[in-house]
Amino acid sequence: MGDIMLELDERYGEGSFWYLNPKNYCRPMYKKPKEEREEYGIGMAGLEETAIEGMKSIIDTKDEDPEGFKSEMEGLSATMIEMAPGQVIPLEDAKKVVDIAQPLVKIDCICRRMTRATLEEEDCRSCLGIGLGMFRWEMVPERYKGGAEFISPEEAKKFLEFWNKKGMVHTIMTFGKTIEGAPYIGGVCNCDYPDCIDIRFRNDYGIKSLMKGEYVAKVDYDKCSGCGTCVKRCQFGAIKKEVTTNKANIDMFSCFGCGLCKETCPESAIELVERNSFPALRDEW
Amino acid sequence: MMPEIVIDKEKCTTPFECKKCLQICPQAVFMVLPTGMHTFRENEPEEYKLLAVFRDKCVFCNDCVEVCPVGAIQVKIILGGGE
Repeated sequence: MGDIMLELDERYGEGSFWYLNPKNYCRPMYKKPKEEREEYGIGMAGLEETAIEGMKSIIDTKDEDPEGFKSEMEGLSATMIEMAPGQVIPLEDAKKVVDIAQPLVKIDCICRRMTRATLEEEDCRSCLGIGLGMFRWEMVPERYKGGAEFISPEEAKKFLEFWNKKGMVHTIMTFGKTIEGAPYIGGVCNCDYPDCIDIRFRNDYGIKSLMKGEYVAKVDYDKCSGCGTCVKRCQFGAIKKEVTTNKANIDMFSCFGCGLCKETCPESAIELVERNSFPALRDEW
Repeated sequence: MMPEIVIDKEKCTTPFECKKCLQICPQAVFMVLPTGMHTFRENEPEEYKLLAVFRDKCVFCNDCVEVCPVGAIQVKIILGGGE
């Protein structure tokens, strides 16, 4: 199971990470198996509802049957991995993605709409839809409530920077698999706990609908001034300030590699290192 | 220990428009889902349902009960061990 991301990179990355291969954004990749399209119907509304109601029914059993709850959650996690999970990506990689994938469309965050019933108006849309599916957005106005705004790669980069500064984690959003078995890339999300469903599932229930990123953050103790700015930004509880040394300490096993700490560090004391360069972290996804 | 969160669907008719409980909950326990989708038109305000999905995270603060304008939410504490 730990090999899932390595396999994905090997099979669809062609020497790079799977989400940086332009091939994975081209037209044939956007074809979904026919049965699946029929099953889920318009805008995949059924998929969402089934997933959330399924989640609720599992949580309902937590008190009476803790063992069953645990194994159900593990089962759900395995299903999510099978279906192609999303992945955390740092700002630099998100910028590379908007350079190779078209079209780019600013839309409402679907999670936030479901968890907080937030309707994002023009100036605060926080999700970036990618791909040919976006040309059909007018068909289902409910899905893109508040509208959709097509933007250029340059605008998309500014957009990503804006939300990064606000403290959002970028993730590659996937919707199952295409006929070729590759993950169907739906967009780049700007996520926040607890209103992001994927981060919530992962942090609170260990469901791997969201995989850790291809990097981990590492602190340069010579540069770290112990200001603690990074601690506040981590959504995965991976950073703590060590009291005696007065330096930031990152637990690399807990780190998701989003790079928010790196972006915010005033001393540039944090760097992102490829996960695969640490043998012990290769299976940590 | 998990509370029982009862939502009276007769009273809670337009959860997406009201959204008070969704926004006040410190633990973000609730979710609002469309009950279906249509081509070329948005859902009516009645075509949503409120669910207490993450109720294992509820801390019994009772904020949702107090904020609900129609009194549709009940949070019941079930104590283990019987009587």
